[in-house]
Amino acid sequence: MIVLKYEKTGRACFISHIDLLKHTARTIRRAGIPVKFSNGFSPHALLFFSAPLALGVSSIAEYLAIDTDMQADEVLSRFNANCPEVLKASKVFTVLKNPNLQGRVTASDYVFPTAYKDIDLSSGFVVSYKKKGEVVEEEVADKILGVYNLDGKLCLRLATGNNNLRPDRLLPRLNEICGEDMTAPNIVKIAQYANVDGQLEEVDSLLSTETQNK
Amino acid sequence: MQNFDDKLNSILLKVEKPARYVGGEWNTPDMSKRTDGDFCFCFPEVYEIGMSNLGVAILYDIINKQPNFVAERCYAPWPDMAEEMKKAGIPLFSLETRKPLKDFMVVGFSVGFELLYTNVLYMFDLAGIPFRAKDRDDSYPIMLAGGPCSVNPAPFEDFFDVIICGEGEDADLEIMKIVSNGRKQGLSKIEILEQIKSVQGAYVPSLKKDGEKVVKAVIPDFENASYPEHPLVPNIEAVHDRATVELYRGCASGCRFCQAGFWYRPIRERSAERCTALAKTMVESAGFDEISLCSLSTSDYTGLEKLEEGLSDFCKEKKVNLSLPSLRISSFKPEMAKDAKKNSLTFAPEAGTQRLRDVINKNVSEEEIEKIAIAFEAGYESIKLYFMMGLPTETDEDLDGIVEICKKLKWLYYQKRHKRGLNISVSCAVFIPKPCTPFEWEAQITLEEMHRRQMYLREKLRQVKGVSFSYHGAETSVLEGALARGDKKLSAVIERAYALGAKFDCWSEHFKWDVWTQAFDDCGLSMSSYVGAIDTDKELPWDFIDSGVSKKYLLAQRALAYQGITTKNCREGCNGCGANKLGRCTI
Repeated sequence: MIVLKYEKTGRACFISHIDLLKHTARTIRRAGIPVKFSNGFSPHALLFFSAPLALGVSSIAEYLAIDTDMQADEVLSRFNANCPEVLKASKVFTVLKNPNLQGRVTASDYVFPTAYKDIDLSSGFVVSYKKKGEVVEEEVADKILGVYNLDGKLCLRLATGNNNLRPDRLLPRLNEICGEDMTAPNIVKIAQYANVDGQLEEVDSLLSTETQNK
Repeated sequence: MQNFDDKLNSILLKVEKPARYVGGEWNTPDMSKRTDGDFCFCFPEVYEIGMSNLGVAILYDIINKQPNFVAERCYAPWPDMAEEMKKAGIPLFSLETRKPLKDFMVVGFSVGFELLYTNVLYMFDLAGIPFRAKDRDDSYPIMLAGGPCSVNPAPFEDFFDVIICGEGEDADLEIMKIVSNGRKQGLSKIEILEQIKSVQGAYVPSLKKDGEKVVKAVIPDFENASYPEHPLVPNIEAVHDRATVELYRGCASGCRFCQAGFWYRPIRERSAERCTALAKTMVESAGFDEISLCSLSTSDYTGLEKLEEGLSDFCKEKKVNLSLPSLRISSFKPEMAKDAKKNSLTFAPEAGTQRLRDVINKNVSEEEIEKIAIAFEAGYESIKLYFMMGLPTETDEDLDGIVEICKKLKWLYYQKRHKRGLNISVSCAVFIPKPCTPFEWEAQITLEEMHRRQMYLREKLRQVKGVSFSYHGAETSVLEGALARGDKKLSAVIERAYALGAKFDCWSEHFKWDVWTQAFDDCGLSMSSYVGAIDTDKELPWDFIDSGVSKKYLLAQRALAYQGITTKNCREGCNGCGANKLGRCTI
């Protein structure tokens, strides 16, 4: 099993997760990466993605597990030769089994295009957004797991997975607080974290450990 | 002040399916090369539909293969996007380089369906281009139209500088050369149009003299004609999201209602070898997991078996599915069903009784319908049947025939499988008399009669278990009929309908019947006068286009229809329609 770490930037941030699945299957077919197929009535390629990225948000830390016997470096170079610049892979890992990132990842770091500011969460952080045409208000302070200064930029660690918080939903409030006019495509996910024995572990390092255990 | 990309990005987040508007598809040709001119292909429907159009894909590819020209694309934005673009002051732009349409050298619209006419104006409007050719000065691009509706360009000809009647492969390129040279020499639009007029198939409405003919453009060498071997891979799922190989042009069947069957003559086949090679290259280049074979009647293709053989190992190895559309019952072979997934079969008897099938020259006999039993034996459990209602000479007895066919199929299924449970889905369109067919003079049944026959058939089919029935909107069929055989006066109606809010007329949620009836009223015209019977002596708005098939032949076919006499398939011998004067039939 091979895991690729890839980006979804520029125009690609407007491609929905469901379209991305098809897109990636085609990339793999073009690249001639011999991926294993399911045995059902409609066999499909055994590809496993990390949790969907909110539509319109960019990322340099998306993951894709591919069930193939091909060597890692070969997969990486073939993949990159057959996919658009905006979806290129940056790293490859060989792991024993499907790391099930979709199920295990519980947090992600997002960098916002604004100067770092200490955001006070003690009195709560309410966002409002439209859901099925209706405006919903939600208290999300408990889903903001950390506020960091990353090279002078504002970086937020947000809950991901079952208890997900979309970074773009913070924008109206954040723009107010920071006096900015930020839009979602300029938010970049830079890292994902899985919960390992109650501790958050960055996925790159997690995958490296799982490789070494081989 | 936001730059264009930022402005666009913030809009994209407010609209449905933003990937429709971002471009950057895999296999996008090099847009950075130095060029002598650019062409923007416009398709007056949404991205998912436009990206499925083979004609545009072929023409886009041809221009981009030139060292000195580029072609870009533009599709009709969904109303939510149009709204946001207007608010932000963004004019309609191309997907590849986000360039406003107005700044292209040539803008070409593919017009494939009568109900797209308002969307053409919708795109002009969003691009800030005046509707009528006479209102545009030399600073605007040369506005071109082509596609299946060029059979009768009268209703929309006032909107364009040039209309390509027939196949655009050669014509588009010749026009690009003329315009780019003309611009270099500083020629005026009129001078450029005068040169374009000499291109085969090019109709320049503003320069047409009385009695002048336009000969349909036909590419002489279909076998080796340029083909998009490296197709664009859609960003979001397109309607036809697969590698499509065009097997042949034209059709040997000669169904008398079928415009495509007459318009795309002469019949030209592509060899199984080339088709096999094209399919493989397309799959490898795009990564599609499905190949579809495209033609007017795929099971009549001479090389079908050879092609299937040639692709079978490849498809197995690559896990690619080969799908076969538009099968005719008479050419159904059990071998075809052998390897296929047994989901659903599709057949088009078109009419319920032998008598009426003879009238329309749909050569499907009762015995052949019985051959469907082979498919049941092969494991198929559901079948789709296509019919038409309102065909010339049709009576309720013919509609009863549709019900009888369903009953017969159920019985055959029971005989073969010893169980019930066959799913039959009957789809019934309304007959629309179309130019360039033996029925071009026919009356369409009235709106009331359409409703009556639809209800009649629905009631009858309701009594047969396992049959689901769907039918085309009667109102859209009347409008399609009126526009199909329309004259120049209808350009005002189309303009009026657009002004009153008509657009995306193909979408039931957008179709506004009252707007169209008002538009006709406001222009002092009656829609029903366009769908009535036309005297065969009368000059028709499309008579000046020489499609190859002679009027004499169409009239003779019409006479045979009324006598219920069929005409043999072109493969059994030439029927002398006249199309071979434009190119040899290769079957």
